[in-house]
Amino acid sequence: MIVERVLVLLYLAGCIGIGIYASKRVLGSRDEYWVAGRRIGTTVNSMAIMASLASGGSIIGVMGLAYSQGIPATLALFAGAVLGFPLASVLVARQLRNFGRYTITDFLAFRYPHAIVRYLVPSVIVISFTIYIVAQLKAAGITAYALLGIPYNIALAIATLVFITYVSFGGMIAITWTDVIQGMLMLVVVVGTALVMMWRLGSPAELMQQATSAAPELGQVANQSVASYLGYFVIWATAIPVIPHIVMRVFTAKDAESARLSLNLAMLAYSVMILAAVLAIVPVGKLQFPGLVDADQVFLKVMEAEFSPLIRGIAVAAVLAAVMSTTDALLLACSSAIAHDILGNLLRDRASDRTLAVIQVGSAWVIGMLALFWAFSPPELISRFYTAGVGLLSASLFVPTIAGLWWKKANRVGGVAALVTGAVTYVLVYFGVLNVGVAPVVVALVASTIAMLAGGLLGPKESPEMLQKIETLHAPGR
Amino acid sequence: MGRAEAATLVFLILFSAFSFLPLWRTVEVAGMAVFGWLMAALMLVSPALALIVFLKKRRR
Repeated sequence: MIVERVLVLLYLAGCIGIGIYASKRVLGSRDEYWVAGRRIGTTVNSMAIMASLASGGSIIGVMGLAYSQGIPATLALFAGAVLGFPLASVLVARQLRNFGRYTITDFLAFRYPHAIVRYLVPSVIVISFTIYIVAQLKAAGITAYALLGIPYNIALAIATLVFITYVSFGGMIAITWTDVIQGMLMLVVVVGTALVMMWRLGSPAELMQQATSAAPELGQVANQSVASYLGYFVIWATAIPVIPHIVMRVFTAKDAESARLSLNLAMLAYSVMILAAVLAIVPVGKLQFPGLVDADQVFLKVMEAEFSPLIRGIAVAAVLAAVMSTTDALLLACSSAIAHDILGNLLRDRASDRTLAVIQVGSAWVIGMLALFWAFSPPELISRFYTAGVGLLSASLFVPTIAGLWWKKANRVGGVAALVTGAVTYVLVYFGVLNVGVAPVVVALVASTIAMLAGGLLGPKESPEMLQKIETLHAPGR
Repeated sequence: MGRAEAATLVFLILFSAFSFLPLWRTVEVAGMAVFGWLMAALMLVSPALALIVFLKKRRR
């Protein structure tokens, strides 16, 4: 494992180097720290968006899931995110980029000026994303233990300290640079492995035919309810337009059209990577290693059987890259919720640039260390909870955001009602207090929509100034 | 929102709804349930269509 460990160490050192280098530019400027000066080009941004979305689950998890639950169910879970990208590109990208602030909270608090919005939105973000970060850290620890033989707690501490360092000091610029490297690494490793498998063993159709003949369950829909698939699909389809670590990428784009094109290209790269993994690598794994107890090992087993230690080392770095590229973006979004949305709002113009810089760096360390301590002994079902956390975000933010941009009757009463109703309904249905036999996110989105309609139709009309301002956000090419 | 963009969104949402019809869970083609093929197709059609519509609009 020496080669693998050296390659991973070089990769981690590179990430810290980027963070330290970027810190010279970003500390002391909110624009540079939170949104990389709003001058990220289309190609770089699309790779960074893809890397932010593609977590450890998109390499190890997707293949393990396809191996154990079958390919159709796995594709259903990941196709929701792919549908979310055109929704984001058409419904929010141009408007939010034209709005020109830093976070989704900025937009919602402007559109629906109320203390509930100003403080509930960042609170929901912090809760959801801390769970999400812990799930990712757990994946990093398990992966490093399985691949490098490093004990779980030590691997966890090293990986966490590395990404807290480059996120806290380098801000969005460091994240963008590292995400581009991490995204390219993931794409090359997964698509490259799939191409090698096809070259050696046959086309995806042939591989699928062989694999499903030997193991028919690979092509069958696992025995779960439609509501379960539909729930995951809807969560990700509605999360992409509002999820903070993707929305922050929209704010970093050099202009509105670049933001939209970046989302479209990122979606294409993400789809190609998932399909390559599921349709080319998993069938090979099922044929060569039919009785794996731990399905998540399938990718590593295929790498072990087919490639040299050097390539395997690069693959290990790619898996860690997948985990870190999502975790760093989550950490920045989470720290922006505290440092910018909550404390920044409380302090307003009273804090000096130096104080703000300390708050920015400090909030990333506080959240990162809390997540680290939680990840030392994480709950067993943490992976399921993080999707639930994303569901809470979708249920709360989707309707107020879309209505705030596209419905002229959307007003403060409707916005606050939709936000609170979506969040409360989701929690009640998720924990079984309300049992209606439908996925929690679907019920919550319907309830949130009804609340928005009631508030908008029955409440006071929105001011002409607000409507004028919203109208200007739809203008192309700003 | 332009007509082509609106049509794209409506098409993709209808395609998704069509894919979740219970029928496609039991019918198989080339060893895999049609539901799986439809999800794979959605993952290719969705980015390709959105990109084509965006680039056409920008060229105009």
